[in-house]
Amino acid sequence: MKVTTVRKLYWNFEKEERWLNEMAAKGQALLHYSWGTYRFEQSRPSEWIYRIELLPDVASKPASQEYLAFMSDTGAQAVATFQRWVYFRKLSVDGPFEVFSDLDSRIAHYKRVLTLFMSLFAALLPITIVNITNISRGHLALAFALPLLAILIGVEALLGTQSLRVTGKVRELEVRKRLFE
Amino acid sequence: MPAENKQGPLTETVYYVLLALHTPLHGYGVMQLVDEMSGGRVNLGAGTLYGALTTLVERGWIVPVAGAAGDRKKEYVITDLGRDVVAVELERLEELRRNGQRIAKGEPR
Repeated sequence: MKVTTVRKLYWNFEKEERWLNEMAAKGQALLHYSWGTYRFEQSRPSEWIYRIELLPDVASKPASQEYLAFMSDTGAQAVATFQRWVYFRKLSVDGPFEVFSDLDSRIAHYKRVLTLFMSLFAALLPITIVNITNISRGHLALAFALPLLAILIGVEALLGTQSLRVTGKVRELEVRKRLFE
Repeated sequence: MPAENKQGPLTETVYYVLLALHTPLHGYGVMQLVDEMSGGRVNLGAGTLYGALTTLVERGWIVPVAGAAGDRKKEYVITDLGRDVVAVELERLEELRRNGQRIAKGEPR
């Protein structure tokens, strides 16, 4: 069995999911994920449908394990777990595969993702500010401090952008919820 | 049960799960039966179903049943309280249908 490894970093789990399904359509089925490294095995084209979910708890917790066992009983295998993220796949011959089928549960999931991004953003904010003040007071060697600051600002910008994007999704679904379930 | 008459509308997911559980079923069984009952219109997501089952057990509208030995899949069944909730919802749905037929379809009552 031929295994392919791809290194890639996604900030948008929906784009990531789309990419995994494009890979699956080409006969590259995700087998394993960890720290930006995706491992694929060869499969029949479009054999699997992939879905990504953020769990309320890390995947190793009993509550998560119970949920993953339930999912597996419905035919959705958790091929990979990474902290609180799960990569599910289901055989496409079994029909369409969505983890969530109503607005309430989709909104709750987006809110979980939003909380994660916002707490990471908040955690990095003081470090970023301390860095800026130290640099402006000339307390730090610039050769070291400037690249670090650039990375911090870059990550904060990505987290901020993603938070806004997910907030938009939540709003969109909440407007829809005024009319539909 | 006069208080129950004031219960709000059930979601489609909850309504169909309660109907499906008039016979004991595990999660996947519920998904299949609801798909079949609705003529393929309602495809319950397993994540959504898991949340609904958890909430319904907390409410006491369904209970887990002891499955056959060696079967670790949990089966659930509706309770008497759950049946009352369905009965109230059914009356509400009939009212909606009656009024819809009368006004939108112009049928005599």
